[in-house]
Amino acid sequence: MPAAEQPESAANQVSGQSLAASVSERSLRKAVVVGGNRIPFARAGGAYAKSSNKDMLTAALDGLIARFGLQDERIGEVAAGAVLKHSRDFNLTREAVLGSALSPETPAYDLQQACATGMEAVLGLANKIKLGQIDSAIAGGVDTASDAPIAVSEGLREVLLDLNRARTVPERLRILARLRPKDLAPDAPTTGEPRTGLSMGEHQALTTAQWKITRGAQDELALDSHRNLAAAYDRGFFDDLMTPYRGLQRDANLRPDTSLEKLAALKPVFGKSLRAEATMTAGNSTPLTDGAATVLLASEEWAEARGLPKLATIVDGEAAAVDFVHGKDGLLMAPVFAVPRLLGRLGLTLDDIDFFEIHEAFAGTVLSTLAAWEDDKFGRTRLGLGGAFGKVDRSRLNVNGSSLAAGHPFAATGGRIVATLAKMLHDSGTVDGRPARGLVSVCAAGGQGVVAVLEAN
Amino acid sequence: MSGQLAEQPIILGDVPSLSKLYLNAAANTARRRILGAHPDPKLPTGSHEVRAVRVDIAKLTSYQHLLGETASDVLPAGFIHALAFPVSMSVLNRDDFPLPLLGMIHLKNHVEQLAPVLFTETLDIRAWTENLAGHRSGTQLDVLAEVRIHGTEKVVWRGTSTYLAKGVFLPGIDKPLVPSQGTSFTPPVPTGVWELGLDVGRMYAGVSGDFNPIHLNALSARALGLPRSIAHGMYLASRALADVGAARGETFAWDVQFEAPVFLPARVALEIATSQGMNGHWQHSDYVAWNPRSGRRHFSGSVTAL
Repeated sequence: MPAAEQPESAANQVSGQSLAASVSERSLRKAVVVGGNRIPFARAGGAYAKSSNKDMLTAALDGLIARFGLQDERIGEVAAGAVLKHSRDFNLTREAVLGSALSPETPAYDLQQACATGMEAVLGLANKIKLGQIDSAIAGGVDTASDAPIAVSEGLREVLLDLNRARTVPERLRILARLRPKDLAPDAPTTGEPRTGLSMGEHQALTTAQWKITRGAQDELALDSHRNLAAAYDRGFFDDLMTPYRGLQRDANLRPDTSLEKLAALKPVFGKSLRAEATMTAGNSTPLTDGAATVLLASEEWAEARGLPKLATIVDGEAAAVDFVHGKDGLLMAPVFAVPRLLGRLGLTLDDIDFFEIHEAFAGTVLSTLAAWEDDKFGRTRLGLGGAFGKVDRSRLNVNGSSLAAGHPFAATGGRIVATLAKMLHDSGTVDGRPARGLVSVCAAGGQGVVAVLEAN
Repeated sequence: MSGQLAEQPIILGDVPSLSKLYLNAAANTARRRILGAHPDPKLPTGSHEVRAVRVDIAKLTSYQHLLGETASDVLPAGFIHALAFPVSMSVLNRDDFPLPLLGMIHLKNHVEQLAPVLFTETLDIRAWTENLAGHRSGTQLDVLAEVRIHGTEKVVWRGTSTYLAKGVFLPGIDKPLVPSQGTSFTPPVPTGVWELGLDVGRMYAGVSGDFNPIHLNALSARALGLPRSIAHGMYLASRALADVGAARGETFAWDVQFEAPVFLPARVALEIATSQGMNGHWQHSDYVAWNPRSGRRHFSGSVTAL
């Protein structure tokens, strides 16, 4: 029966009315960020060299549980993921929950959207809260470049699988005879895009050159990231966002004393075979990093009932993807399209945002994104706008540092940013008589990007 | 249809074995060298045909995985080329074929995929030669092949491979007067890069059946006068075709011109440029590949909507 003919559906649920109608008439409620917890990020091969994804995710989760008194609590759902994942970790998040102090009756699932994994975990769970399916949730992400899975070669794998299927000894011997010395070489994961063979850095080098982003501008952005992150540590900003782990108190990649001179002395590592000047160095690119981050989300009622903070509301989110395979757009440029769509839907412009959190995969990624938004022709021809999308006020950008300084354990970055931004929004409260607003933008492998708007609560 | 095809084709009982063909070709070369015999400077008339050819599904899957094709039930155009290749080679291996088969250089290739072919289809494959002509550094000819659904006249695939017998000049066939102009090449911004290991030649031989010694290893390549083994031209062209991707649709024309050979192992830079019509529909994708260190062009070509 059509919903329109059932005005009192909520009161009528049992009397033969369509269940779908009664659910669809439920009004959406708010999903808020209660807080977050992460472990400091380590450089690959550093403090967490022997720590697995499960170890780190559980450590971050346990810190969150301790901070918000969630021992034995049955959380609505926990969702997290890792980009580099062992096949044995098929239920990574559920295993981390079972190893944590949460109630073992807390359900959990794994998800993966490359570097946007953490953002997608936050948005998916926030939507479940908004719909009334769950009252509380923990979103997270973890990655280790140190304890990365190494696969056996295709040749050895096929032999082992065929061997398993073989019935007789001669059959097995025939299969074993197929082995060649090269089959014994292991197969390590790479950062190469499967369809182009180019590494993420080489892809970004194409985009950096296309938008004519200078070496100096990239080094300045990297310097700002280190300075802002160091200052945030110094004033204790991360004290309630982080739990020390394996002797690390701060992100190991942070260089508080770096300078433009030091950054300028580094040799380019990407884009060396392009005709344009190679501008991307180890200083203005994120290093391979290990770490984990979690965010506690809830309905307002759930947080209030437990006397927990409500830092910020997850307002809305948007995913985008670009056709990068043959170079129509840069690999990491999807947020350039996602943000105008999201802000357009909310009736906002870049001028209405108080804090920008644009993930620093590479300094060139952030600067190419800003350049595309400031470009009149790009705005007209690619974004379908009347002109340029707008200009980001640099004094509002990554004000507490971002991935260039903190490091970037792929799936953990979304959780790091959402918790950091929620606290910043809560701290600033209102701007011009309205709640402070923040924008998160995270690019991801495969030409993808996930962006979100948060508002101070 | 060409005059040669007016003749009834010679029906082969089965798809000929390429390794036997290569052995026979080597023997032929040796015999001609010893006897110094100059065959008639004209191509054999008539065609060879194999009927009711079936596709090995395991081989198809390996081919699709190696080339980066989607593992669908439709045969990739390059896979059909490999399927037809032994039939083509059997024509070049005839005693009355005037050029030495071994050491011939693949200059260019043209394929028309006229209808999608499912692996369950049974196929008739016919091959013949045409257009014996002088080339500035030898003699060239076209090897044509066409694939029909078994027992029907429906041509689903057509291919023309142009080969050069380098250093072979036949009496009565003149060199072209105009030397081919070497076009200068400035490498564009790459859209991809291929890391090709030493084993690429052997792996493609495994899925295509083309065990030409110049592709297998340095030793066998050296025996034929090459410093190292080289990648199969059709491996390179077929990977470019796979990289063009699903945009190409089910029917298309696929062209490639080969230039500097790819000595293995190699790093090959590639650009694929796609053109769309006013309505946003795909029209063609042009590709070019080069050595990123030397800037020498390896091959170029296009895939065009039919």
